[in-house]
Amino acid sequence: MKIFNMELFELFTIPFMIRALVGSILLSLLFGLFGTFIVPRRVSFMADGISHASLLGIAFGLFIGTYPLIYAFLAAAIFGFILAKVSEHSRITEDGLIGILLTGGMSGALILLSFVPGYKPELFSYLFGNILSIQWVDLYILSGFFVITCIILISQWRTLVMSTVHPDLARVLKMPIKRTRYFLFIGTAIALIAGVKLLGVILVSALLITPVLAANQIGTSFKSTIFLTLLIGIVGSVTGLIISYIFDLPSGPSIALTLVLIFIASLFYSSLPKQKKLNS
Amino acid sequence: MTRIENPGFTDNIIECQNLTIYRDFHEVLHNASCSIPKDSLTFIVGENGSGKTTLVQSILGLLPINEGEMELHSDTEKDLIFGYVPQSVNFSKHVQMTVSEYLKYSASVPSDLIEETLNIVDFPETHLHNRLTELSGGQTQKLLLAAELFRSPDILFLDEPLSNVDNSSEKHIIDVILGIKNQGVSIVIITHDWQMVSSYADHVICLNTNFLCELSSNCICKNSLSKINIKNIQKATPDPQSSHPGYCYIENI
Repeated sequence: MKIFNMELFELFTIPFMIRALVGSILLSLLFGLFGTFIVPRRVSFMADGISHASLLGIAFGLFIGTYPLIYAFLAAAIFGFILAKVSEHSRITEDGLIGILLTGGMSGALILLSFVPGYKPELFSYLFGNILSIQWVDLYILSGFFVITCIILISQWRTLVMSTVHPDLARVLKMPIKRTRYFLFIGTAIALIAGVKLLGVILVSALLITPVLAANQIGTSFKSTIFLTLLIGIVGSVTGLIISYIFDLPSGPSIALTLVLIFIASLFYSSLPKQKKLNS
Repeated sequence: MTRIENPGFTDNIIECQNLTIYRDFHEVLHNASCSIPKDSLTFIVGENGSGKTTLVQSILGLLPINEGEMELHSDTEKDLIFGYVPQSVNFSKHVQMTVSEYLKYSASVPSDLIEETLNIVDFPETHLHNRLTELSGGQTQKLLLAAELFRSPDILFLDEPLSNVDNSSEKHIIDVILGIKNQGVSIVIITHDWQMVSSYADHVICLNTNFLCELSSNCICKNSLSKINIKNIQKATPDPQSSHPGYCYIENI
């Protein structure tokens, strides 16, 4: 199939596109797995909160003139820990705490950035994403994080599921829900920063939330919903990436919009009468 | 505050001494003492807000004990296995879990035993592949009970187990509960159903705190119990005005 005098398959031979596609797939899988347990806990806002608050880490890195993403990871991990710890026992609701972290982190970031002289083009790429700048070393780190996440998820799978579906019973059964909670929040926070490269701070929450919500419209069991979440994430991010390359559009918003369109399609599908769904 | 688990040869599976428990920084139970006998059917009664669910949740470890002591007595070296069926559970609509998946995750029920497990509580076969969010309140309670029964608990806590169940299933559920009691499971039920208490209770724990410590015809427990086949009515919070031994009656409010 030719698009603008170029065969579509040629896209998959360009090195930076290969890296971008592999990165998209890995991030879709990570976000799909975390999102499955984050969205039902009604902390979806966490994605926005953590990604915006991590700007504090990015601003600090720019301020001292070193690799900002390392400090963004650190800030995200700390905020994830605070979220897991404080919301456990206090009178503050999780969404309230996320709001405080978001505004606190953003405010701190803007103040720090006011001390950094000159135009900051890297800031633009963190805000809106630049998947095409992903390097092989980034992919190796992401792959390692993905493998570690899968190992921990498999070992904690039953606890994660039961603490999401019936938290009281999980505690009666003496499952290690506290440890699992910390893993979930800190792991999601770190994955969110990895996703900042793809979608940017402003839109990274789209990859965490939208596939889960779309899959919930179509899935008929827990197992099928997880599979659909991962599939929708991959299809949405790969399609959005290809569209952004072909039409020279920003990658982050293209992916986010593609996911939103898939969600709208899933809503339409779920509103069909049952018989029509079965026939289709 | 202490929670002690130890094997021992007592007639009680759980003993609570001078418990004070807070919920959301508000004191719900103050200086309450009670015991739950083994192999018996114990009812916890009391007016709304008296602390029935709070007491049960603190025994299960869902709420911390602020003051007092709780002893858990197991006949073996192993910890007690608790079973718990709350009055209601709000399953998230963002989790599309089916009935059979719930049984696998909550009680590790093998696939070939799912139908048999659900038949025990008269759960309709036609809803086997339904999602949790599609179940009615009564179907949910039956499912939760089925899962807990499969886990063979030493003590099973039920919060208003018949509140959402239809009349045709009520007798069946009661027979199931009595059946497992005869198999050596201690049962604790929170209820406002005095007829059920009258008919089936071996032991009653009353958490009402409005009372006059004198033998009186104005006793809510006494007036509500039509049969005198209750071995014990245990008043959890003692009357500070009196040193009567044994049990106190309470004023009809």
